[in-house]
Amino acid sequence: MKIRFHGRLADALGRELDIDLQAPCTIGRLRQRIAASFPLAAGLLGDHRVRACVRDRLVADDHRVAISDAVEFLPPVSGG
Amino acid sequence: MSVIAAIQETPLDPRDELGALLGQARGDGAAVSFVGVARLVSRDGDPIDRLILEHHPTLTRRSLEGIANAAARRFEVSHVRVVHRCGEIPAGDPIVFAGAAWARRRAAFDAADYLMDRLKTEAVLWKREEGPAGSAWIEPREADYHERGRWG
Repeated sequence: MKIRFHGRLADALGRELDIDLQAPCTIGRLRQRIAASFPLAAGLLGDHRVRACVRDRLVADDHRVAISDAVEFLPPVSGG
Repeated sequence: MSVIAAIQETPLDPRDELGALLGQARGDGAAVSFVGVARLVSRDGDPIDRLILEHHPTLTRRSLEGIANAAARRFEVSHVRVVHRCGEIPAGDPIVFAGAAWARRRAAFDAADYLMDRLKTEAVLWKREEGPAGSAWIEPREADYHERGRWG
């Protein structure tokens, strides 16, 4: 599964990550799995303002992703 | 009524944007605009050379359109114009133009205020300031979320 990161998350984790996902799982589980592999980024990923995006839609932590999905994680946004 | 929401990598000229808003709003009694400018000095007092605004290929434009349309509906203004920069912005250059026009001033002021409070906290952009001291990501402060909260 392709995971993409934006903003400060990309600094910590790189722009893209490939994860070998054997079965569908929730966004929350995916966060835990990435955090376990990258403990230094666990705090950033755990920020409640970090949103997940699947197929150009923002989704909650209980959203289930398919193996074929690509997931993006968006850190807190700010314009203006 | 017209609602314009755009993101651009090229320099933004606020005079052109205000001219466009006034052109659209011909006959309206009031046009209110706000221009956000890339700061020369960080919150910590360090000099800044440039601001980097990362955007998302689809969500950024959608967020700008959603905010601009919401302002038009909520305040029933006749025209809303939001133009946001992305990419590399030299310190001192304009970042955003947000304007609204209507027959009378109060709704136009409120719409511009609302646009900026939502853009600060909800426009899908990621800001990084770069200068001699290094680079730092800039996220909304509690005060920004509080001001956004005024509108419900």
